[in-house]
Amino acid sequence: MHKRCQTTLPGGAVLSNVLEVDSLSVEFRINGEYFHAVHDVSFHIESGETLGIVGESGCGKSVTSLALLRLLTKNARVSGEVSYKGRNLLDLPDREMRQIRGNEVSMIFQEPMTSLNPVYKIGAQISEALRLHTQTTPRRAWQQSMEMLRSVGIARAEGVMGEYPHQLSGGMRQRVMIAMSMVCNPQLLIADEPTTALDVTIQAQILDLMRKLSKDLGTSVLLITHDLGVVAEMCDRVAVMYAGEIVEQGTAKDIFHNPQHPYTRGLLNAIPKLDAASKERLQPIEGNVPSLTRMPKGCHFAPRCPLVFEKCRAEAPGLFRVEPGHLSRCWLNDAQEGN
Amino acid sequence: MLKYIVRRILEAIPTVLGVTLLSFVMIRAAGSPVRILLGNHYTVYRAAMLSRSLGLSKPLWDQYVIWLGNLLHGNFGYSYTYDRPVVGLMLQALPHTIIIVVVAVLAAHVFAVFLGSVQAYFENTKFDQIVTVVNYFFYSMPTFWLAVLLIIFFSIDLNWLPSGGIVNAQLSNPGFGDWAKHLILPISALFLVSVAGWARYMRSSMREALLQDYVRTARMKGASEFRVIFVHALRNSILPLITLFGLSLPVLLSGALFVEEVFNYPGMGLLYWDAVNSRDYPIIMGVTVFIGLVTVAGNLIADILYGLIDPRIQYR
Ligand SMILES: Nc1ncnc2c1ncn2[C@@H]1O[C@H](COP(=O)(O)OP(=O)(O)OP(=O)(O)O)[C@@H](O)[C@H]1O
Ligand SMILES: [Mg+2]
Repeated sequence: MHKRCQTTLPGGAVLSNVLEVDSLSVEFRINGEYFHAVHDVSFHIESGETLGIVGESGCGKSVTSLALLRLLTKNARVSGEVSYKGRNLLDLPDREMRQIRGNEVSMIFQEPMTSLNPVYKIGAQISEALRLHTQTTPRRAWQQSMEMLRSVGIARAEGVMGEYPHQLSGGMRQRVMIAMSMVCNPQLLIADEPTTALDVTIQAQILDLMRKLSKDLGTSVLLITHDLGVVAEMCDRVAVMYAGEIVEQGTAKDIFHNPQHPYTRGLLNAIPKLDAASKERLQPIEGNVPSLTRMPKGCHFAPRCPLVFEKCRAEAPGLFRVEPGHLSRCWLNDAQEGN
Repeated sequence: MLKYIVRRILEAIPTVLGVTLLSFVMIRAAGSPVRILLGNHYTVYRAAMLSRSLGLSKPLWDQYVIWLGNLLHGNFGYSYTYDRPVVGLMLQALPHTIIIVVVAVLAAHVFAVFLGSVQAYFENTKFDQIVTVVNYFFYSMPTFWLAVLLIIFFSIDLNWLPSGGIVNAQLSNPGFGDWAKHLILPISALFLVSVAGWARYMRSSMREALLQDYVRTARMKGASEFRVIFVHALRNSILPLITLFGLSLPVLLSGALFVEEVFNYPGMGLLYWDAVNSRDYPIIMGVTVFIGLVTVAGNLIADILYGLIDPRIQYR
């Protein structure tokens, strides 16, 4: 498979990729049998950019992101390559993996309410990250954690440091999670639906905060979401996932202005138009994401696809190149088909 | 906090009273001490006299009220068989029981928490399966039977340790070493039966904790597996055990009863056991009150500990 390690910009500047994921597959053992939850996923993240992964619930977004840091449960089998700065995270010794986690690559989870330890103070939980990765004194770590809390927009930082998670709202807890994952100044932040569990106004604040932090600190972001509105606002490039596979990948412009895959088009049509003049109805895609144990044989999207034809049911399409950097997993994009 | 403790103690009073009333009635249903006390000298006349002088000829209710009145003045009464104040007998026996129970409980908890945690982490491996089988073996074994087996093996077959008592009468100057030797088997018996039960609870509680999201967060931060288990999951997973600890104190004391009987170890258990056999009502009632108080105290301590470990709890 073709691999890019560096991208040369027209000006001659060299952008290196922070992360390169190559044919990542994850299988879960269910009743003694292995089933693919993620299949042959490849993408890269350039230094300083934000890559979005979008898809419906259950398409394998969380599984993909957890696999990158090897945080999946024991019943998972992971294959492929996750290359961070040239090192494959998937076969790194545990000790080296731990030095990367929370320090160079960190993660924010989907569930702010349960992701903090209920029996430790916020201050202890944030400064733990610093104390695990740096040589600072407990006092310095505490001080630095408090500053981090301030920079995630918690005015009452000093008080919050001494509080417990149950004393904070969901939005505050997610801010604490962000502070915890950013306190060591990571190269890459993986944010798995960081705002899904929060209400709309808080959502916007958290997204603003993440955008600001990633810009200020030069952190690359892998942003996972099911909300195309969030993608439009935050991401440089986008990968659309369906049933464990990437079905379309390209720049945000490619995806929004020249969507190729019928699934991507379906998702775009499902965005409610706030514009009062247009009386267009929401068009959600009919049907549901297939479960792991009942994946269709050919194209995974075939059962729901409005443009399905014979070949789709018989044979799974590969990723076809629409333009440089724009890929689509649809037989309609197969150049040899003459489309 | 102080208000909470006082309220809890006041709330416990009816329970303790109920327990004493129940034992008072039940022990009398088991038969009179008069025949046992008189032995060969038994005549109907002497029996009636003794009954009267012990206050046993009064109606049951009056007897209870008198006993309770004395108790409120700190008077537990006189033992029939030893002819000494019950308080003195209990105070003499208590340190012996405390030492074996406290050592066994502490050791058992520390070890069981560790064992159960490791078992949960290595769930369904050979290690876990073997430990589970061994645990069941000790868990299902009656305490007295385990004590007897320990004596057969370590005292009779191997002749390593004394089979009972607290001093070797043959030694002219028995010291600390001799005393410690006498403690090993009783403590081991209590330790083994408690570890087995606790490790099982700990295993399931830790198993649950390891599935929680905050454990994943700890791993995400780069914490070692040791830290994940013994710092992040442990504090959460011992919470349910603390409540159980309070509830299990009386069970533990009844275990001590059998152990002391088998090892002829002069603690509260043996005192109680002998008192039951000779129908020495004042001792029986004294020990009953004591166990009631320990139970109340155990629950209270458990609640306070729980509050110290879980910040979500507030006492009102
Ligand atoms: N530990 C596991 N064991 C078995 N199956 C799992 C496990 N974790 C996830 N799955 C399955 O893998 C599939 C993908 O799950 P995943 O959590 O990645 O979805 P998602 O895209 O993150 O959805 P959502 O938007 O709801 O978070 C689902 O069908 C889920 O049931
Ligand atoms: Mg998810």
